[in-house]
Amino acid sequence: MNVLKVSRWTIAAFVLPCLLLYVCLVFIPILVSIYSGTLDWNGIGASKFVGFANYTKMFTNDSVFWPALGRTFLLAGFSMLVQVPIALFVAILISRYVRKPNFLVSSYFLPVILSVVVIGQLWKTIYNPASMGGMINQILIQLGLDSWTHSWLTEPKVAIFAVILVSLWQYLGYHILIQFTGIQNIPADIYEAAKIDGAEGFKADRYITLPMIVPIFKISVVLSFIGSLQSFDLIMVMTGGGPAHATDVISSHMYNMSFLSMKYGYGSAIATFLVFVCLLATLIINFLFSRLDKRYS
Amino acid sequence: MTQKRSRMLGAVMAGVLALSLAACGSGSSNSSSDTSTTPTDTTKTTTDNGNSNSNEKITITFQNIYPDTTDPKNQMLQKIVKQYQTDHPNITIELDSLNTDQQKLKLKTQAASKEVPDITIVNPAAQMQPFIDADLFAPLNDMIEQNGLKDTFQKGILDYYTFNGNVYALPDGNNIGVVYYNKSLFEKAGVKVPTTFEEMVEVVKQLKAKGITPMAIGEKDSWTGSFLFMNVLLRTNGGPGFLKDVVDGKKTFEDPAFKEAVDAFQSLVQAGAFQDGVTSFDYNAGENLFKTGKTAMYFMGSWATGGIETSEAGKDNNVGVFKFPTVNGKGNPDEFMLAPGSAFAVSKNSKHLKETLDFLNYFMLNYPKETFEAKGAVGIAQTVDGDFKAAGYSDMAMDVLNLFKDVKGGDLAFDNTMNPGTAQAHLSSIQNLFVAKKDASEVAKEHQSAYEENK
Repeated sequence: MNVLKVSRWTIAAFVLPCLLLYVCLVFIPILVSIYSGTLDWNGIGASKFVGFANYTKMFTNDSVFWPALGRTFLLAGFSMLVQVPIALFVAILISRYVRKPNFLVSSYFLPVILSVVVIGQLWKTIYNPASMGGMINQILIQLGLDSWTHSWLTEPKVAIFAVILVSLWQYLGYHILIQFTGIQNIPADIYEAAKIDGAEGFKADRYITLPMIVPIFKISVVLSFIGSLQSFDLIMVMTGGGPAHATDVISSHMYNMSFLSMKYGYGSAIATFLVFVCLLATLIINFLFSRLDKRYS
Repeated sequence: MTQKRSRMLGAVMAGVLALSLAACGSGSSNSSSDTSTTPTDTTKTTTDNGNSNSNEKITITFQNIYPDTTDPKNQMLQKIVKQYQTDHPNITIELDSLNTDQQKLKLKTQAASKEVPDITIVNPAAQMQPFIDADLFAPLNDMIEQNGLKDTFQKGILDYYTFNGNVYALPDGNNIGVVYYNKSLFEKAGVKVPTTFEEMVEVVKQLKAKGITPMAIGEKDSWTGSFLFMNVLLRTNGGPGFLKDVVDGKKTFEDPAFKEAVDAFQSLVQAGAFQDGVTSFDYNAGENLFKTGKTAMYFMGSWATGGIETSEAGKDNNVGVFKFPTVNGKGNPDEFMLAPGSAFAVSKNSKHLKETLDFLNYFMLNYPKETFEAKGAVGIAQTVDGDFKAAGYSDMAMDVLNLFKDVKGGDLAFDNTMNPGTAQAHLSSIQNLFVAKKDASEVAKEHQSAYEENK
């Protein structure tokens, strides 16, 4: 156990600062919001303990909550089932066909480092109605597809997909980077050996690349899932959750409740719910991937 | 091993000692400054206080919503603060300039931890209520008596900031809802200023037929649509006080007046009054459509006057104003949507309460004069000595000032009258009318159930 030949106390002393920070910045706030979630509190005045009333209301009597949760999972689903596989595909193509991939990968990564506000404003302009110079609608009109034009961000049925698309676009480069790095770490001699055995091209990907980057792929999936659950900024910038809650997700609903409706206790209850969903989802994903891992090792 | 451990322990102890020393240091300096202020507070008068404390450095944090350096209000603020600091070298005014939404959020966070800045900004009536209930602000009753500050305010305006007989905040403005219109676009479409709501809908259709977007609105910030809707309601209700009647239990949202307002409002939306993609335009983006001459009409509080008169559309007196017309022959155009402005409040727990109050007194006394000079005095809450026309205010500004003379009461915005929970439900319900046609009774029911739930 004690390979480093230092006393446990020393180890403790070195771990302590980080542990303290972690406890103070992560655990205590979670505990506090679990507690606030049981209060009827406007955030500044006196509070009243109401037990699980906030949760009962959330699950049974909040017309925004379930649709918002649904949209959150919609985003997560798109992110995991569309974005990450596309990223993997692109990463494979890059690592196979591009000789100096750094420039390409960096440019895909560019949207990730841009501020969400910039991205939101940019896409708002792209989505604008044609009369305001919106790019998509103008292209559609030029192609003679007038009937396909929409005011993308304001039609309740379309708006959420318009926002999801931007979010997928923004983080595509992130996942490409992660998986590209994963592919780079697969030793080249394995491919060479496979080549001799007659596995080349996509066949090699199917039997070598995919199984060997499962751990990296898992990181990507977890990150994309958690990221989607917490998505907030882009929605605030682009639609503010509107029109009439049509693009509200769970975290924007939580924000509206805590700070605009001044139901801080209720907002905390939603936050607590979100924490548990995140934990649960991480557990499920881990479980699924550990089975995958076993299959391939 | 033991030696190592003791060395470790030594290091840790040294760290602890350093920390505790630092803590002692700040603690003692705090307490010494406390003891030096308390006696002077109780024993000496205002002027003495300023002199005797002149060696002690005092910092007053002034949270405000004038971050835009091109805004006349920002220049006025800088100027008064600079002057005050020159007169009182021991006092530093630290400005925390934020835009409105950020400020609201920051204040709520600060209030939750009881760390309200010395001076901050609050909104009138119902929006102030939670802060008053939490007992965060100092009453200003005595302060406004000093140097005749109270008499500079318009009659009745301080009522919106008064709770239990105490004035808790001093407003920076007092505005009314008006309709701005672009004269050249009106001419191009051959339409005249509408005198009834029905004519207004007709004007909208004619403008639309000429390819002109009739009205601009920044409905991503949903209060803008609510402000307009409430003006329709003010008419269909035949006068002010609908929401008050609801609160008093005399009416419900399912009252015919409310449904009529919803229908009238929808007729305006369905006539195509507003720009495409209306719910993705925030307040500034919406206003810019009008300012750049892309739309013909704009309903907004009179605080927009300053910005519009210096804009592209406002050149050469191209923009006029009119009163919101009667709806179905009901209501009185001289009753306006009233918008008592955001207001300055003082933290009850301020470390330098006395100095803060003195500064705010000075600030508010100089406020009318300085805003008048910076050409921002249309719609301020205090009386201004000065000839607007001679000072070079535009014709539009003069028109707005004349409208103020006609004001015979009116209503406050929804979120200034109702609690935040109901207000949010209302805002999203009205926002929905911009994108979907709804049955008036359904809208009424939504409002009523939200109201009962948040009561």
